[in-house]
Amino acid sequence: MQRENDKQNDAQQSDEIKPVQATIGGAKLASFPPFEKWDDWVEFDAQSWPKKVERRYSLVPTVCFNCEAACGLLAYVDKESGEIRKLEGNPLHPGSRGRNCAKGPATINQINDPERILYPLKRVGARGEGKWEQTTWDEVLDTFAAKIRQALIENRRDEVVYHVGRPGHDGYIDRVLQAWGVDGHNSHTNICSSGARLGYALWQGADRPSPDYANAKFIMLLSSHLETGHYFNPHAQRIIEGKMAGAKLAVIDPRLSNTASVANYWLSPYPGTEAALLLAMANVLLNENLFNREFVRRWVNWEEFMRNERPELPCSFDAFIEEIKKIYSEYTPEFAADECGVEAKTIIEVAHEIARAGSAFASHIWRGAASGNLGGWQVARALMFLNVLAGSIGAQGGVSPNVWNKFVATPFSKPAPQKVWNETLWPREYPLAHHEMSFLLPHLLKDGRGHLAAYFTRVYNPVWTNPDGFTWIEVLRDESKIELHAALTPVWSETAWFADYVLPMGVGAERHDLMSQETHAGQWISFRQPVRRVLKERAGESVNFTYEANPGEVWEEDEFWIELSWRIDPTGELGVRKHFESPYRAGEKITIEEYYRWIFENSVPGLPEKARAMNLAPLDYMRRTGAFAVKSNVYDQHETRVPDSEIEGARVDEQSGLIVSASNQTIGVMIDGTPLRGFNTPSRKLEFYSKTMKQWKWPEYILPGYTRSHINWREMNKDDNEYILVPTFRLPTLIHTRSGNAKWLYEISHTNPLWMNPKDAEQLGFKNGDLARVTTEIGYFVIRVWVTGGIRPGVVACSHHLGRWRTKKDEGTDRWASALVDIEEIEGGRWKLRQVEGVHPFASDDPDSERIFWKEGGVHQNLTFAVHPDPVSGMHCWHQKVRVERAQPEDRYGDVMVDTARSREVYREWLRRARPAPGPDGLRRPLWFARPVRPDNEVYRIADE
Amino acid sequence: MRYGFVIDHRKCIGCHACTVACKSENEVPLGTFRTWVKYIEKGEYPNTRRYFSVMRCNHCDDAPCITICPVTALFRRDNGIVDFDGDRCIGCKSCMQACPYDALYINPNTNTAEKCNYCAHRVEANLEPACVIVCPVQAIVSGDLDDPASKIARLIATEETLVRKPEAGTLPKLHYIEADQSALTPTEQTHASGYLWSEIQMDSVMMNEQALAEADAQARTTYDISHARPWGWKVSAYLWTKSIAAGSFLIAAIAMLGGFVFNHWVFDAAAPQIALFFLAATVALLVFDLKRPERFLRILLMPQWKSWLVIGGYILLIYGALLTAWVIIPYAFTRPLSRRAVEVPVMWAGALFAAMSAIYSAFLFRQARGRVFWHSLLLPLHLLVQAILAGAAVLLIVLVAESLISGSFLTGPAWQFLYYELMGALVANGVLMAGELFMPEENVERKRAARLITRGVFSRLFWGGALILGTIVPLLAFASGAAEEATVAIIAAVLALAGLLVWEHIWIQAGQAVPLS
Repeated sequence: MQRENDKQNDAQQSDEIKPVQATIGGAKLASFPPFEKWDDWVEFDAQSWPKKVERRYSLVPTVCFNCEAACGLLAYVDKESGEIRKLEGNPLHPGSRGRNCAKGPATINQINDPERILYPLKRVGARGEGKWEQTTWDEVLDTFAAKIRQALIENRRDEVVYHVGRPGHDGYIDRVLQAWGVDGHNSHTNICSSGARLGYALWQGADRPSPDYANAKFIMLLSSHLETGHYFNPHAQRIIEGKMAGAKLAVIDPRLSNTASVANYWLSPYPGTEAALLLAMANVLLNENLFNREFVRRWVNWEEFMRNERPELPCSFDAFIEEIKKIYSEYTPEFAADECGVEAKTIIEVAHEIARAGSAFASHIWRGAASGNLGGWQVARALMFLNVLAGSIGAQGGVSPNVWNKFVATPFSKPAPQKVWNETLWPREYPLAHHEMSFLLPHLLKDGRGHLAAYFTRVYNPVWTNPDGFTWIEVLRDESKIELHAALTPVWSETAWFADYVLPMGVGAERHDLMSQETHAGQWISFRQPVRRVLKERAGESVNFTYEANPGEVWEEDEFWIELSWRIDPTGELGVRKHFESPYRAGEKITIEEYYRWIFENSVPGLPEKARAMNLAPLDYMRRTGAFAVKSNVYDQHETRVPDSEIEGARVDEQSGLIVSASNQTIGVMIDGTPLRGFNTPSRKLEFYSKTMKQWKWPEYILPGYTRSHINWREMNKDDNEYILVPTFRLPTLIHTRSGNAKWLYEISHTNPLWMNPKDAEQLGFKNGDLARVTTEIGYFVIRVWVTGGIRPGVVACSHHLGRWRTKKDEGTDRWASALVDIEEIEGGRWKLRQVEGVHPFASDDPDSERIFWKEGGVHQNLTFAVHPDPVSGMHCWHQKVRVERAQPEDRYGDVMVDTARSREVYREWLRRARPAPGPDGLRRPLWFARPVRPDNEVYRIADE
Repeated sequence: MRYGFVIDHRKCIGCHACTVACKSENEVPLGTFRTWVKYIEKGEYPNTRRYFSVMRCNHCDDAPCITICPVTALFRRDNGIVDFDGDRCIGCKSCMQACPYDALYINPNTNTAEKCNYCAHRVEANLEPACVIVCPVQAIVSGDLDDPASKIARLIATEETLVRKPEAGTLPKLHYIEADQSALTPTEQTHASGYLWSEIQMDSVMMNEQALAEADAQARTTYDISHARPWGWKVSAYLWTKSIAAGSFLIAAIAMLGGFVFNHWVFDAAAPQIALFFLAATVALLVFDLKRPERFLRILLMPQWKSWLVIGGYILLIYGALLTAWVIIPYAFTRPLSRRAVEVPVMWAGALFAAMSAIYSAFLFRQARGRVFWHSLLLPLHLLVQAILAGAAVLLIVLVAESLISGSFLTGPAWQFLYYELMGALVANGVLMAGELFMPEENVERKRAARLITRGVFSRLFWGGALILGTIVPLLAFASGAAEEATVAIIAAVLALAGLLVWEHIWIQAGQAVPLS
């Protein structure tokens, strides 16, 4: 069913480059200036109004760099001053369709932030002492090139590490690292989404879902996608579209998120019991025969399950159904009601909603329960189970594997995979992790498992964001563990403070990146651009590097990596240089323009034709439109017939139906006698049964199941004031530690009080605003209480967005956001952080900085969390068992106390739960599992030692 | 053509994108907002819900901000947009009192009033407002209400819609679909210390439990922006000095017209000079309360005649001219007959304008449509009584002080007249204060403001200051005859004046203490 809304939106992203037209004198107002006028758009100055003062702008599309959704922006560049006046949405962007969340327009704050770093800085005192001097980019590049070159020459290819927060690009750095031949990609995934990723990957091979919200009839969210998350704005648009067309919405969250608040059903289970809740719904669907039999029969690997696990039974679908009914019979709604604290009748009602929606049942979990709990990955797996039962995988209104809806273009040269495995990023204990065990890095370095010659933190702030920040500080200070550390960041962060070099990089409108995300049932790419540079070049000025057009000497990373790579291997002897030579000018260094030009000319199907139709070169087309829709209405890709050409020479495995090519790749599966593409799993089907789990020593997890979390409510001793702390929720206006430079966002949200149910508040004797001391296993923090009916009794919650700090009065983390603190290192790994002064107005070029009215700035809770690596997914299990009590007389707001010796013990306790590699065939990791910057298959095998 | 907004709360997800897009489009300074998203929470776990409501200018068809603005800085465009012109604004803040929706603020960069103007500069280029295009869920709909084919008109025709405070009679052009009624009704909301993710800028007056009394305890505000009370001590002081300015001559005129004390220096010489002095002080307070005091002449030179600030300004101007005339007459007209011929009409006119000077503020405060407490029907009479009280007290002080210096005996008609005049005014003022505070009242805003005075943050000032020390004690002093002692008389009169000033302060502040949004 094509809905009116869709039609309207399709028009906005149709083949014609026609954002809703501005017709002078017309009755209907337009949303955007007409595309043909983007080069020279005249608008009246808002400040001078009602005097009509004309301002002439060039409108240059770019992409937001605040979260990972890659929404389109349109920069209004004043033609007279060359300054960016504002950023609106890009109507030609298929994902965001001209609309943005609060963070999009706030990009202008980040550009004009008086606190931003404009020149490369070099440490002159001890690490963390806060003494800096301005240096030159040449010095920076030479220093790092020498260090890395030496590591390459000495074949220390696991000592160069690039540690990234939100990447904001697709694959650029992967190519660079593989060109260097290092195994050095470290991400933030394991403090973010590993749990959900493993759950999804086990089912479908792809580690993310792509829900088709707009066409769904029932939507179930375990994340708060109407306010945060991947991908907030594009997904919120489509969830509400679906809702307006009649879809009902259920949200499962212990906390009343804004999303839960507009839902038809808010289910608020005890944290960590979500999988039980979902399996009870599965039980209802199975028992009442409300599942899609045909879909399950065709696409679930039930035969594999029956053959391997129930050899005594006939290998028939009916026997399978009888069997799984038995397996899940313990998950009755009554059991779930008792276990989760959600009424049985609600569970049944929601299950019936799922059944009614059938293939138009969309669901999503990204962080939340999957990231909070031991065994959280099973929550995603149980959720996906419901979609499989409903037959909504790949269907319109259902959920598809993300890879169907994301387009990653291939660059001009792809280096061979590295032949090295970095065990400080991929330790053997976590062979199934999704992905790098990044938050364990300081512990692994302390264990002596490795050593870093060159370490880049790139828009990443582990000291603040990761658990156990004081352990990070201990390691970042230690030059014997990390020889050289550069923080690539637009602004100060708590981590940058401990680096050797702080290298200012561009924000949203000051850099190139190519991005795609699975926002709906289609594929698109979007092009981030340094808009001032684009305009200079359009005016005929020659610009060699983006920093020439950026404020100060703010670089863009793409160019930094080209320059650095060139200097690592100036002669080409190391095999690096060739990957940075222009595809257009043999032997010469590539320019960033050439890099993207080649992609647009060669790697994006349909783009050159589309550009030609407008008399534009592909690069110019992208420069002017900022986005390109590669495909739309992508559904049922698993049902794609394997072309005869591929089938030729391939063989079909009798039992499994797998179609195996001559080169020994599975390319499809026979379904009812038809060769179909299927999914990217070993069985090419949806893997209800995971043989992989069995092979990798987790036989108890071969099926979707429920694991009791490390914070199970039954283990909380109420008499000892024990509570479950949910410390992971986000606010619609902030972006982890990336938004401290956006005054309009901090103006709206600047505190993170501890949510507490009125019943608990009464029992503990708290009034709203009282100070509480919250004690974790390694320390405590002191925070204000927010009494609200929006949280389950027995559970407290605190947003992790606030509590930024700096140790120097006039320098460090943005003063819009940070409190001045004193950090005291008491002996034996005991650390104490205390606010000296909260957020305070300050003098700057921006008069608004004197108008800061917020004072406390929040509490940094993550410091008090020990690492909790889930033994299977590798996810840091964020939820905490805490003791909540009234603050002691000596406590002050914002106090944090931590014992890092204790955090080492907790690390070891959790490490013991792991079941290390090797798996079958001496493997470090299942070959079919995705791995970022995937190394050569040969290093997947652990060499005999 | 009538542009309006529909805000569709079936869609709104409370994301604040509109807030920030507006800030960007209009460069709105920190701490001020043209649009914001208020959150309230209702219900007990697990039936708790949060409700969002997008707040901004309603572009009223009967916009009180336009009516009260003395200089046409606020005006209606042909397309129905209520726009403003910062270049005209004098920063009197009266629009902030007139608007029942908290839509206006003073821009700290320009010190002029601003609000949502529907992005009129964009509309001129045929573009929708910035908040409309940014909204991820298209919950904000702009368009022509007069065009039945427009999306906005169709929505209003087919969906049930609400407006904020329909009882204010402003005819708002902002219509809400499925907004929660208590989210739109500030008097139904409670505030606790701190919000969901922001600090409350505590205003002990607005947060006083009496100011929030009888709110629906289930509708708790969990995100909001702060609104300072626009008028402070200068406005209370202005009322007080104006009472003296008006009252001293009015009393003198009554006395002179009564004839029995004509020619007493207190009335024909001291009173007009005192009136002139306090009139100058009144004007000075008015001017210095402006955020753009250098633009004060615009009230007279660029008048918007519906504004009682303008009418009042002219009344004060004419009154000042008449007082000046009175003072000059003895020098200009030396012959008694011709002097008398001029004096009598000037005195009549002066008395009339003195009374008008006292009373006109009642009409100004009534134009402050947002401040219901100030709309009392007793106010014109009360202002007149306050003027008489102030005038009598000041003249009595002068008379007694002179007698103390000269050692003359305090009797005679002037003394008697002022003595009883003041006593009467104190009684009347007491009755009128009680009337304003204790008359049975349905309106919750009036009730709350009154309770702030009788039971809330202002109760000590009221009971101890305005009532006991400022009214009852002087009244007893006069009634018992104790005030026939010169020092007692002076103390009693000073107390009466101080009591009046206290009353003006609490009356002005309590009137602004009930949240508008």
